[in-house]
Amino acid sequence: MKKRGKGIGATFYGTGYGNGFPDVSNCEVELNCQGKIVVYTGATEVGQGAKTVLSQIAAEVMGVDLDSIVLVCEDTCCTPDAGTAAASRQTYNTGNGVRLACIKLKEMIKKVEENHKRVKGLPDEILTMKEIYEASRAQAIILKARDSFTACTSTMDEENGQGSPYWPYTFSCYAVEVEVDTETGRIEVLNAYCAQDVGKAINPVLIEGQIEGGFAMGMSWTLYEDLNLNQGIIKNNNFSKYIIPTSMDMPDICSIIVEDEESTGPYGAKGIGEPVMLAAMPAILNAIHDAVGIRVTKLPASPDYIVKKIQELDKSNLIERK
Amino acid sequence: MKEKICFTLNNKYLSIDADLSMRLIDFLRDELRLTGTKEGCSQGECGACTVIIDGKTANSCLVLLGQIEGAHITTIEGLGDENNIHPIQQAFIEEGAVQCGYCIPGMVLSAKALLDKNCGPDKEYIKRAISGNLCRCTGYKKIEKAIQRASEKMKEAENDD
Repeated sequence: MKKRGKGIGATFYGTGYGNGFPDVSNCEVELNCQGKIVVYTGATEVGQGAKTVLSQIAAEVMGVDLDSIVLVCEDTCCTPDAGTAAASRQTYNTGNGVRLACIKLKEMIKKVEENHKRVKGLPDEILTMKEIYEASRAQAIILKARDSFTACTSTMDEENGQGSPYWPYTFSCYAVEVEVDTETGRIEVLNAYCAQDVGKAINPVLIEGQIEGGFAMGMSWTLYEDLNLNQGIIKNNNFSKYIIPTSMDMPDICSIIVEDEESTGPYGAKGIGEPVMLAAMPAILNAIHDAVGIRVTKLPASPDYIVKKIQELDKSNLIERK
Repeated sequence: MKEKICFTLNNKYLSIDADLSMRLIDFLRDELRLTGTKEGCSQGECGACTVIIDGKTANSCLVLLGQIEGAHITTIEGLGDENNIHPIQQAFIEEGAVQCGYCIPGMVLSAKALLDKNCGPDKEYIKRAISGNLCRCTGYKKIEKAIQRASEKMKEAENDD
């Protein structure tokens, strides 16, 4: 028999290295001879959109088009360290580093511009970025700025549990509907509604992509993925045994972006890389409970495990009735 | 041992001497330097190495060179580039359907094979068409939307002609 159920899951998650570990992102920006703003930072793009978001932040501070930003990253020869593409930290940490460096450069540009206008006696002249670069050469000033951002975390007090082990925290709430086949134990996720707090959505399309991908990973973690370690050897070491979802397994996903600005974030933004996958698991497990009354206590909730749990429940119900 | 083989690759007729026991993916990547075709699992499970052979998608890691005598093959390089972008590629960009990008050449080719046969596929058709292409980043949603968008754009273009 096929039974349907609904469930929700809510999470909060601290991003960044946390617990007082030095979480530093450095950034260098310069105005080049073509009038482009060149941003150097060690942030790594792995598909999450760091390059896009960091360029957007730089363009916003400098007040220029996105086309005027050249982002140089992942080159240890010329980019200052911006930590790892991990801990959901690049938007918040490196975003802040980029913002601070750009603010410094903007101040320098303003001074060069003012000097130029005063010397020329043309107070109303509007200079292009290329002209500002030329003016800086004439004034023997190198328009290059560097700044750094360190996340404000502290170790937790072991006695009273107080402190700021992470900064900031990100919140999410997901709701799903599932269908459980009580004979085969197969679970199908029918619908998913994913509400994710993002601080400020710097790039909504990228955030939707992260939410959808995160839900897929969370669902896959809950229902399919099993490394099957045996004495340190991975048994399921290929895709025919290690199952991840295909397009056929994915439900429709409704992404809800919740904006509650984080005062310390770049334009209020927070990281969401990892948080987006977490709420899928509790939501699906609660929906399974709603559908067939079993509590899943081991992952993945594979068909054989579900059938076993249902049979156990039926047996105990039978005994109770007797 | 090298033997003669003839086939059409991205609308170009090729007649070459090659080791026919070579996998097609190795021939494309190592001999022709067409590195847009990606190698993922090497077992025909992930679809990263998808190419189109005579109108049907195939995992090029499971095809030997000797099997393609006389065939018409399309790789991602045969679709378009920055200067002459294919509507499917354009739709992937517009929908934000790409994250790390490793599965995308295969996804785009699966989409092309579908749209060549069925110019107005519904959602289920699209899902089925890309079900042999695994993606770890996107959750497939934006890829499905991109293929939908491409089918609409291609239909519009056809009507304009």
